[in-house]
Amino acid sequence: MHKYLILLLIIGITATGSWFLPAQQEITVKIREGMPMVPVAIPEFVFQSGSQMDEPTRALLYETLQRDLEFSRVFRLIPREHHSYISRFNPASINFKDWASIQAGILVVGKLEVTTENRLIFQVQVFDVTNEKSIFSKNIGSKKENARLLAHSIADEIMKQFGEKPLFTSKIVYVSGNQNNQEISMMDYDGARPIRLTFNEAVDLLPSWSRDNERILYTSYRRMAPDLFLFDIYSGKTSLISSGGSNFAADWSPADDKIVYSSSKKGNHEIFLRNILTGQEKQLTFNPAIDTSPTWSPNSREIAFISSRSGTPQLYIMDTDGANVRRITYEGSYHDSPTWSPDGSRIAFVSRIENRFDIYVYQLSTNSYAKLTENAGRNENPTWSPDSRHLAFASNRSGHYQIYLVDYDGQNVRPITGAGDSRMPRWQKTLH
Amino acid sequence: MKKTTAILLVLYLVIFFNTCAKKKPKVEPTPAKQDTAVEKVDEKTPVVEKPVLTEEELIQKKSMDELNKEGNLQRVYFEFDKYFIKDDMKPVLQKNADWLMKYKTIEIIIEGHCDERGTEEYNIALGEKRAESAKSYLTSLGVAANRIKIVSFGKSRPLVNGVDEATWYQNRRSEFIIIKK
Repeated sequence: MHKYLILLLIIGITATGSWFLPAQQEITVKIREGMPMVPVAIPEFVFQSGSQMDEPTRALLYETLQRDLEFSRVFRLIPREHHSYISRFNPASINFKDWASIQAGILVVGKLEVTTENRLIFQVQVFDVTNEKSIFSKNIGSKKENARLLAHSIADEIMKQFGEKPLFTSKIVYVSGNQNNQEISMMDYDGARPIRLTFNEAVDLLPSWSRDNERILYTSYRRMAPDLFLFDIYSGKTSLISSGGSNFAADWSPADDKIVYSSSKKGNHEIFLRNILTGQEKQLTFNPAIDTSPTWSPNSREIAFISSRSGTPQLYIMDTDGANVRRITYEGSYHDSPTWSPDGSRIAFVSRIENRFDIYVYQLSTNSYAKLTENAGRNENPTWSPDSRHLAFASNRSGHYQIYLVDYDGQNVRPITGAGDSRMPRWQKTLH
Repeated sequence: MKKTTAILLVLYLVIFFNTCAKKKPKVEPTPAKQDTAVEKVDEKTPVVEKPVLTEEELIQKKSMDELNKEGNLQRVYFEFDKYFIKDDMKPVLQKNADWLMKYKTIEIIIEGHCDERGTEEYNIALGEKRAESAKSYLTSLGVAANRIKIVSFGKSRPLVNGVDEATWYQNRRSEFIIIKK
């Protein structure tokens, strides 16, 4: 507890860094909420009596859950080798003092039943080690082939129990393919289970999620011009939303069935607000410069966007009726792809400085900037995780465009795609 | 009435020729008259073989692919981040306009492209601005606006791959594609 108090004190006295000053960046990022991570131990899952002894499934569930909690930045995993310092885990009689001795704060106990019909029934119980009490217990079932999803659901359940937003069952939609044929695909947040969604045999671009996470807005050249389409993932139905000129960069309102998007259908590139159900439309910008890349604030009262009205593309925020436009960025000469974090606190975007493309994060409360990527290829199209602690982005640092994840503070950069070219990721904003 | 007039005329001619024949039995001018008629037919022939639409027809005979490959319309290049028509590109557009003014049935689409040094979103807008610049320059030279469509491909269709200014220069372009002849 003393350690945490000291940490909080450090946080209190450290000033936030300013933008483009690499020396201060690390400070800015490391002090964020300053919430200490919860130390969690996961003993090996046990098979319920009567279960098939399906070792690969048990291992897959364990590794997936472990990776999720490690990724969370909410929990800190007690290393497996420390488990051997204490007496062997017995689910019938848990020795909490033992687990406390290796610094475990909570204990995740899993009991697995693999039925003869190849169904999985998983009982998860989470204990508070210090108070030696059960925090919660839940049974979750799935088909065996959905073992990964089952593990992600358990991880999400644990997040919810600790007052955090679930994210592990969320998906990322993205663009894959070569120059002449870019199609829309979808995958789990960790890059597993990729599924191709479109077969347009044309360039498809800039996908984004509907509020219900069941439909994808995207731009396709399937009719030889960049038109905006809405694709229903579960019915396969595609409908044309907007055509004429270029129609792209759509973002669905977090509150209702409205979208904002860029279009040049009236001649110049402007931002439009459209009700998907009624088709009613309102033009929000009326500037002879390029206005593009709108993104909703999570309270759906404001829209951040990019405009070149000052001469170079800069970040602006306006009210949803187009009024009250204020400029946010003054430094730098090229910003684009803004995306508002689901918790409302930050806007991530891309800046180009001397032909280097990096991801920056603007924090609204402090009016400060942090740089998330450095010296590693071209980094584009950032998108937030549903809990606002992580981002996905596309980078060509390996020679090909791949999708990477990074934490809000620039830590833990890792690729989640490997084959071909993958770019323009969009993470689901919320889970239902 | 007409019949009687005709009969009278014929009778008159018969009498006239009969009197002439009696004076000059040889009928020499008749073959000479036939020769001049033949000459007149020869004169008409070359006029028929000179149709005004020949080149138009030639264009019509060619496929759209052939026409586009012939390079009748040259692409123009742009400065980094910019979409105005550079002075050295104006003669290129003048030639394109001349050709389009000559073949008035031709319709084109102008593609706007960007180099890779831009974001996906902004490049779609910038590419369209480039296509639009080329279109308004052509219309200022007299090409009807309804013959020209535009489309932006952003950075999704580079002409060449590479990471130097020579590559980027070639990719920052507007292309003129014939879509109707």
